[in-house]
Amino acid sequence: MGKLNKLADFIISGNANETEKLTKELLDSGTAAEEVLNGGLISGMEEVGRRFKANEFYVPEVLIAARAMKSGMTLLKPKLAESGVEPVAKIVVGTVKGDLHDIGKNLVAMMLEGSGFEVIDLGVDVSAEKFIQAVKDKGAQAIGMSALLTTTMTNMHEIINELNKQGMKDSVKVIIGGAPVTQNYADEIGANGYAADAASAVELLHDVLGSKK
Amino acid sequence: MTTRERFQAIMNFQPFDRFPVLEWAEWWDETIDRWHNEGLPKNITDRYDICQYFNLDMYKQDWFPESAPGCPEEPYHGAGILKSEKEYEKILKHLYPVDVVDKKQWDLWAKEQAQGDIVIWFTVVGFFWFPRTLFGIEQHLYAFYDFPKLMHRMNSDLTEWILKIIENVTQYCNPDFMTFAEDMSYNHGPMLSKDMFDEFIKPYYDQVIPVLKKNNIIPILDSDGDISEPAYWFEDVGIEGILPLERQAGVDMAKLRQDHPKMKFIGHYDKMVMNKGEKAIRSEFERLAPIASKGGYIVGCDHQTPPGVSLEDYKTFLSCFREYAVKAGQLSQKELI
Repeated sequence: MGKLNKLADFIISGNANETEKLTKELLDSGTAAEEVLNGGLISGMEEVGRRFKANEFYVPEVLIAARAMKSGMTLLKPKLAESGVEPVAKIVVGTVKGDLHDIGKNLVAMMLEGSGFEVIDLGVDVSAEKFIQAVKDKGAQAIGMSALLTTTMTNMHEIINELNKQGMKDSVKVIIGGAPVTQNYADEIGANGYAADAASAVELLHDVLGSKK
Repeated sequence: MTTRERFQAIMNFQPFDRFPVLEWAEWWDETIDRWHNEGLPKNITDRYDICQYFNLDMYKQDWFPESAPGCPEEPYHGAGILKSEKEYEKILKHLYPVDVVDKKQWDLWAKEQAQGDIVIWFTVVGFFWFPRTLFGIEQHLYAFYDFPKLMHRMNSDLTEWILKIIENVTQYCNPDFMTFAEDMSYNHGPMLSKDMFDEFIKPYYDQVIPVLKKNNIIPILDSDGDISEPAYWFEDVGIEGILPLERQAGVDMAKLRQDHPKMKFIGHYDKMVMNKGEKAIRSEFERLAPIASKGGYIVGCDHQTPPGVSLEDYKTFLSCFREYAVKAGQLSQKELI
């Protein structure tokens, strides 16, 4: 228990080297991968998310914490697969077509991964076709779309229309975010939800999927 | 009042005849392309020719580049051009050009300024923006932890360069104000903590701002996003003003004025209402004109007029702009005596 708390602390302080070392040590000493994931990495990232929402952490602190989390996840992933541990859900994320801004989307992807979701990150300038194809290929339950510009946020609507056309809207939840995006806009285009920041995106996705522990 | 007298009166919280009618930043190409198809004469493409066409107050800006031709360019937006101190040293020969003040242009501007016809301002990159252009958007945010020494070196070098630029430019005249391009906030506030600001940015403002003030140049910080929280940090280091105060990012001018009674502000007119019809345009001026009448605030589009605004929309906007500019001026005569 003490070591898992220590692992969470390494995540919170963004210490990637120590996170990797301690994750390895815990796994080598027989601690179950799922326990390391939940008690160490996810627990740490939850605290990072809380501090980010409370303006105690800013973007650099979240980024280095997520980097530390990833260094632990690299060791954990094969062990989790071996022991049949499934991700909370799969989500395809991307910045919509015409928009090259990705830092907000990257923060959301990191926070989601740090909360046990499998994230398929399509990058920037992603077309409706690419989003839909990735959902089909990966069997994702959700799409997360980001836009920084008022001129590109309208492409979110196009993707939802395409999901509707293909009869996928009920089975795939859509969450959106980005500087010009609002809850009103999410309602207007038929998205399942809007998140104001990366930490809220995790809560929102749990809510829309009904996956909250 | 001349253009310059009006600017100075407003910035000194003194009564004014009207607030200036201006577009503080250059228009987007897409907006001008659209207007060319809607009746703006095709031969009018230059920023100041466009100002003249719309009969706007003339505020002339020079943005001094911190890199010279030949400097490596980022392969794509936000990618950055270096990853280490060694790579910084390699490109140093392309950075910090001092011969960027165009003598002919500044001689002419100085005369126009002396007659009161124009307000002159210049822009240099700030201590958050500059390392970001070198590292790239995301790597810059890691660099606060990964390359603290290099970050300080970059900003120390930038400081020296800015001081030289101030020395060069003030040989022609004292510009009325200047801006540090920073863009350090987004729609949820600053990208970095106050501790990071104090460690990596404040020491360099501490060196440059006294020199600006000595030359009667008003230092203004240009940051998109919600600057409500860092406005205190800016004020503490001697920054006197902020622009463009984006409404969509949640900036509240009334609160900002209340919290910073001595600061100067430019912008904050919500660009998103400019194509919503006269009623919405008026309503936005109704919100801002009473604040402007108390001085220290120049109303302007809270960044640049977006391409969604037609030429007709813009003409309606300017017609209302002129009307409320005078109204605010009349109010200022009573309120600022």
